[in-house]
Amino acid sequence: MVFNLDVILMTWISIALLLILGIFSVRKKSLVPHSVQVLGELFVRQFASLTEDALDKELGRKYAPMITALFMFLLVSNWLGAIPHMSEPTRDLNTPLSLGFMGFVIAHYAGIKAKGFRGYAREYFQPFPFMMPLNLIGEIAKVISISFRLFGNIMGGSIIVLVVSHLIFSLILPPFLVAFFSLFIGTIQAFVFTMLTIVYIAVQVK
Amino acid sequence: MMEWEPQIWVRAAAFFGGGLCIGLGAIGAAIGEGYTASVANESMARNPSQSNVVLKDMLVGQAVAESAAIFALVVAMILLFSSFSNPSWLTAAAIIGAALSMGFGAIGAGIGSGFPAGEACRGTVRQPAVANKLMTNMLIGAAVCQTPSIFALVVSFILLYTDFSAMPVWPAWAALVGAGLATGLAAIGSGLGGGTTAQASVEGIARRPESASSVTVVMLLGQAVVQSPAIFGLLISFILLFGTYEANSSLAPAMALLSAGLCVGFGAIGPAIGGGEVGRNGVRWVARNPGAGQVITRIMLVGMAVSQSTVIYAMVISLVLIYVV
Repeated sequence: MVFNLDVILMTWISIALLLILGIFSVRKKSLVPHSVQVLGELFVRQFASLTEDALDKELGRKYAPMITALFMFLLVSNWLGAIPHMSEPTRDLNTPLSLGFMGFVIAHYAGIKAKGFRGYAREYFQPFPFMMPLNLIGEIAKVISISFRLFGNIMGGSIIVLVVSHLIFSLILPPFLVAFFSLFIGTIQAFVFTMLTIVYIAVQVK
Repeated sequence: MMEWEPQIWVRAAAFFGGGLCIGLGAIGAAIGEGYTASVANESMARNPSQSNVVLKDMLVGQAVAESAAIFALVVAMILLFSSFSNPSWLTAAAIIGAALSMGFGAIGAGIGSGFPAGEACRGTVRQPAVANKLMTNMLIGAAVCQTPSIFALVVSFILLYTDFSAMPVWPAWAALVGAGLATGLAAIGSGLGGGTTAQASVEGIARRPESASSVTVVMLLGQAVVQSPAIFGLLISFILLFGTYEANSSLAPAMALLSAGLCVGFGAIGPAIGGGEVGRNGVRWVARNPGAGQVITRIMLVGMAVSQSTVIYAMVISLVLIYVV
């Protein structure tokens, strides 16, 4: 068995950063929030309402914490590459793949819970019974597409930053490249991953 | 008499690939930018008082659309100016694969990112008050639209910088060229489809600025699903790149690997363009009729999933070609 210690270390760093943010945003809570509390509340409220829109109120409440945590972890992970000597844990395929698989398991668990096993299994035989293998492949393809999308974007961004910086002898451009590929694309892809996880749950539940 | 050493072939492949890469890569961005400029002209004619803002929108949009062609330029420059250490026949195949991947991969993203940029110009003259919102949304849409070309770039660089010398030349050369073709061709449709979806979202925000946040979310979802065919191409590329092959000098196994790449590459073009059409109207009507947003989004996603079943057929055949035949 091989452990990729770099990736594990970077994952732990992002977890630590999130924990620090969490601790500081709930410390000395007050009705007039201090700045870190505002940040925390912003994330939680925004993603709670997104989840409640897609699922309904009750289920939304249940899954919102997971969704918010997923987004914040991805965001911090994707931004980590902007710091010198750090690399994004999401640049290693294992991280997106395991998060994608987590979403898959949660979505199917929610589906079985909402519709019962019979109702859940019947979905695979729609519209015709012989479509079953293709429906199965379609479900697996969802995990592949969600995780490769994140991986490809983050990996591609870091390759572009590296190669272009090398070609122009690291003059002027690199900070802008990092701002675009790490911060901007990283934010969008974290959001896309999170939204797709919500949608996969919603598709299974309905 | 010249000696036909691998070294010479690698040089030849690098020159051929460099030309091919930027030649193909220049197609898309130019069409996209031309579209943006033409819509910008139309917009300025309608409302000349906004021409400064339209000019800014046009230039920013064109700059984003150009990035796909710039990726192709980077790959072409690397091919022309780098010296390949311990060249073998496989290096030549990898170079051709890398050039095909990035060349084809830049077409769709270039054309596609022109659409939202053009629509942003049109929207700006209709609703000058929301010019900033339109610009932000156009940038997000066009950036996501570039994703397929980024996948193509990833495959290009893996092909250029991985040492394949442990593989047997036959049939591995076909796997390398096939890997380039799979991602490159598959990126065409996803770039176009992502562009039409983004275009509709910019149009929708220009019509109903207050629905901007929900329209952006639906656009991102639509674009993400439209990109799935390109991701299947990327998957087949990875399988081809990191597979293990037995040396076999007959033509059949090599053709199986090459056509596995071609199959998923061509198979991905249609579903992504079709998905883009679904996305266009899905996003447009979410903006116009926000009350029905949930229903429209759900139908949009289901419709895209159904239209994507054909790329799944292509992927199944690719996997059969790689593993079974």
